[in-house]
Amino acid sequence: MTVHNLYLFDRNGVCLHYSEWHRKKQAGISKEEEFKLMYGMLFSIRSFVSKMSPLDMKDGFLAFQTSRYKLHYYETPTGIKVVMNTDLGVGPIRDVLHHIYSALYVELVVKNPLCPLGQTVQSELFRSRLDTYIRSLPFFSARAG
Amino acid sequence: MVDAVLFEFLHTEMVAELWAHDSDPDPGPGGQKTSLLVLEGMGFRVGQALGERLPREMLAFREELDVLKFLCKDLWGAVFQKQMDSLRTNHQGTYVLQDSSFPLLVRMGSGLQYLEEAPKFLAFTCGLLRGTLSTLGIKSLVTASVAALPACKFQVVIQRP
Repeated sequence: MTVHNLYLFDRNGVCLHYSEWHRKKQAGISKEEEFKLMYGMLFSIRSFVSKMSPLDMKDGFLAFQTSRYKLHYYETPTGIKVVMNTDLGVGPIRDVLHHIYSALYVELVVKNPLCPLGQTVQSELFRSRLDTYIRSLPFFSARAG
Repeated sequence: MVDAVLFEFLHTEMVAELWAHDSDPDPGPGGQKTSLLVLEGMGFRVGQALGERLPREMLAFREELDVLKFLCKDLWGAVFQKQMDSLRTNHQGTYVLQDSSFPLLVRMGSGLQYLEEAPKFLAFTCGLLRGTLSTLGIKSLVTASVAALPACKFQVVIQRP
């Protein structure tokens, strides 16, 4: 069980942060293109899910999975999107993603006077705390499973 | 008790506003000094008022050390919801107050990133200390230094006439 990588986007599609832990295959395109692709896909899926839902929507798009990995999604009312790719053994992790938003992003970036909002996060503290947090998760194992 | 976040955000804006106005006319260290002085002056005025309002009982401040202890415990507790971590003195009018995790710096970094910007965020607090001391009858000079975020030291030198 492991975490492959994590993306953080803001309301305008700017990728605020990206880290990877276990990624055996790259996308084959530049990082900017990859972020645009990811954001574009999320935007389309969200609107698709809400249009085609046969019942009233509660939380909206939560996750998708393939035969090799699962992509988890969490969006805040302010438009901050947390996207995490894990392997298949991991169940719903909305609270983990919410913790990343509230205890890490809000505390260390929004409240940091020297971090301008709307740009990639430069704060070393944010990066290191996020890394420590992910490594401490019960479903993260140091060897890709 | 009010949420501490309100003061933190306001303080962030104060620093940002002063720096935004002052970067055009004088980008050198001279312009920066004015902003630091303005921040310190604001802190001084707030400290003067807090010095009147905070001491609830008729605290008999028998000596200077009691006043400094009051700053470390009650003033820090009221403004930052924690106490100062250590107070040292040479018993000749110089006191060093150490805070190993200063709330206005703790979100910025832990280590050396942003070290040059840190003094801007300490100027208001230096003024705060100086103002509170002045209301309690002590004239002083307060400076702050940061070696590694978020720990910082405030040096208080009592001015004897």
